[in-house]
Amino acid sequence: MSNPLEEVGHKWGMVIDQDLCTGCQACVTACAMENNIAFVGEQDAAYGRSLQWIRVERFWEGEFPEVKSTPFQPVLCQQCGQAPCEPVCPVYASVHSENQQINIQVYNRCVGTRYCANNCPYQARVFNWRDYREPGPLDNALNPDVTVRRRGIMEKCTFCVQRIVQGEDTARAEGRQMADGEVVPACAQACPTEAIVFGRLDDPDSLVSRLKRDGRAVQLLEELGTQPSVTYLKGGSSYGRNG
Amino acid sequence: MLQRLKLLERLQNLARRPIFWIVTGLFTILLAAGVGSGIRSMQAPPPQPLDFNHQVHVGLGIQCLYCHPGAWRQAAAGLPTTAKCWGCHQQMANTKPAQQVLVAYAMAGESIPWVPVFIQPDFVYFNHRPHIAAGLNCENCHGEISRQTVAQPIPRQNMGWCLDCHRGRAAGDEQMLARLTDCATCHR
Ligand code: HEC
Ligand code: HEC
Ligand code: HEC
Ligand code: HEC
Ligand code: HEC
Repeated sequence: MSNPLEEVGHKWGMVIDQDLCTGCQACVTACAMENNIAFVGEQDAAYGRSLQWIRVERFWEGEFPEVKSTPFQPVLCQQCGQAPCEPVCPVYASVHSENQQINIQVYNRCVGTRYCANNCPYQARVFNWRDYREPGPLDNALNPDVTVRRRGIMEKCTFCVQRIVQGEDTARAEGRQMADGEVVPACAQACPTEAIVFGRLDDPDSLVSRLKRDGRAVQLLEELGTQPSVTYLKGGSSYGRNG
Repeated sequence: MLQRLKLLERLQNLARRPIFWIVTGLFTILLAAGVGSGIRSMQAPPPQPLDFNHQVHVGLGIQCLYCHPGAWRQAAAGLPTTAKCWGCHQQMANTKPAQQVLVAYAMAGESIPWVPVFIQPDFVYFNHRPHIAAGLNCENCHGEISRQTVAQPIPRQNMGWCLDCHRGRAAGDEQMLARLTDCATCHR
């Protein structure tokens, strides 16, 4: 489907190299710190109400120690081009950003029907079942560039849009184009093996675009036609990024 | 039917008594006064620890950006520190009551707890830099601050206000329109 506004703004994308991922959970932690994601505590977590915008799924194939080398898969919002969560929102809180070519959740618009989460094939959306206040001095660690969500609000990965907007603003203030790799979301920044790479897909020379052309590239549930912006690399044999 | 007629009759009797009109009149006046003062309090400047007089200071030729230096390079314009006030005022007599308050804060080395006048909700991310870079003046959004003795709030600076100007500015430029009306530009 061609959208005239497809030409507008940037098309952000991410490549996750599963052959490099060690499953260390640094991305999960960094994401929670950057995006003011609340810690729900043991009890709510047991109810399946934990708040995570990125999770590391683990697939064992084979018998230990002869497991295949790609057992870990970080899953986050795939920022679909044709997002199943968007048309089901009755109040237009789950909208497509024409400017950034991502799916955004407008928290102040959200009324918490949870239709979007139910329609998300990647289970990337999480719901705030309570007001999880940060106790004591911990609230000083909140990121002022991200809204603190209330109870009854759906939330999900935004590709760290606050960093994108800030990067664009800085580049425009300095009167230049943004360089490849200038905007780095928290998960990619924290990844010790650089398995997560972020950048512009509309720039054919960016690192993400080049990696996306790698023979190992697959997308999650591609057959659904959601046109994800996240691409996974897995092949097992070619360990490391050697071109 | 009969009951309803009776009720009507009683109402008519009531309306003939002066006390009915006095009570109704008083009630209406009270209601109007309540609504009026409610609207007024929304538009009145909030009480400040001391009345900072923009007219006097801007009249001295001090630039807005001397005291609000963030406006041209970052999101928040920022308010001056007590040290910045003191830089001038320690050389002055400071006889006025408001100046006495300033002296007290400066002697204690404390910052003055100014009350916000222009403030958007927490979920709105306003940024001064692109607006100043686009050639807008402070007066476009803050009114004639330089003639005010206390900073006056301006009502109804809501999302429609932002978007009206953004749409007008971006007319004919599809890319700019998408950028300036994108939810993520102001909400994150
Ligand atoms: C000498 C320093 C100084 C100068 C010069 C100055 N201001 Fe201020 N301004 C202040 C202080 C102090 C406050 C906080 C007190 C208040 O809100 O009344 C303030 C408050 C404001 C506010 C309200 C901020 C809020 O709390 O929401 C605005 C708007 C503002 N100034 C705009 C201007 C503009 C426009 C100019 C130039 C015409 C200017 N100022 C010049 C010191 C200054
Ligand atoms: C550039 C120097 C300068 C700075 C900076 C400055 N002032 Fe003043 N201020 C003056 C002068 C000059 C006067 C006029 C004195 C007079 O007329 O007696 C004045 C007058 C005042 C008055 C009395 C106003 C009136 O109604 O007559 C107050 C109150 C005051 N300043 C507070 C402040 C505060 C608070 C700050 C810091 C935000 C500040 N000033 C920063 C120079 C300065
Ligand atoms: C496009 C409209 C617009 C223009 C132009 C503008 N402002 Fe503001 N200003 C705002 C809004 C909106 C807020 C409230 C921001 C918030 O609460 O997040 C604000 C807040 C402020 C504040 C208090 C909070 C802060 O940011 O520190 C000051 C001081 C201020 N402006 C000064 C200025 C000065 C000085 C100029 C001119 C150089 C200016 N503004 C130009 C819209 C504008
Ligand atoms: C008087 C006109 C006017 C008003 C009112 C106004 N803006 Fe703007 N805004 C502009 C202009 C002009 C630009 C700069 C466009 C450009 O980058 O060339 C801009 C840019 C922005 C940007 C940066 C966009 C980007 O892509 O970096 C943000 C954020 C923004 N405005 C938020 C707001 C908010 C929030 C309000 C209301 C509280 C508001 N504006 C009110 C005229 C206005
Ligand atoms: C130019 C900046 C700007 C853009 C773009 C923008 N908003 Fe807003 N929005 C605001 C401001 C400012 C307010 C606060 C209004 C107020 O204080 O009354 C607001 C308030 C709201 C509210 C009301 C929340 C409440 O609790 O009162 C909703 C809902 C909302 N915005 C949704 C959206 C959606 C959905 C989009 C994208 C289609 C969007 N906004 C785009 C500036 C913007």
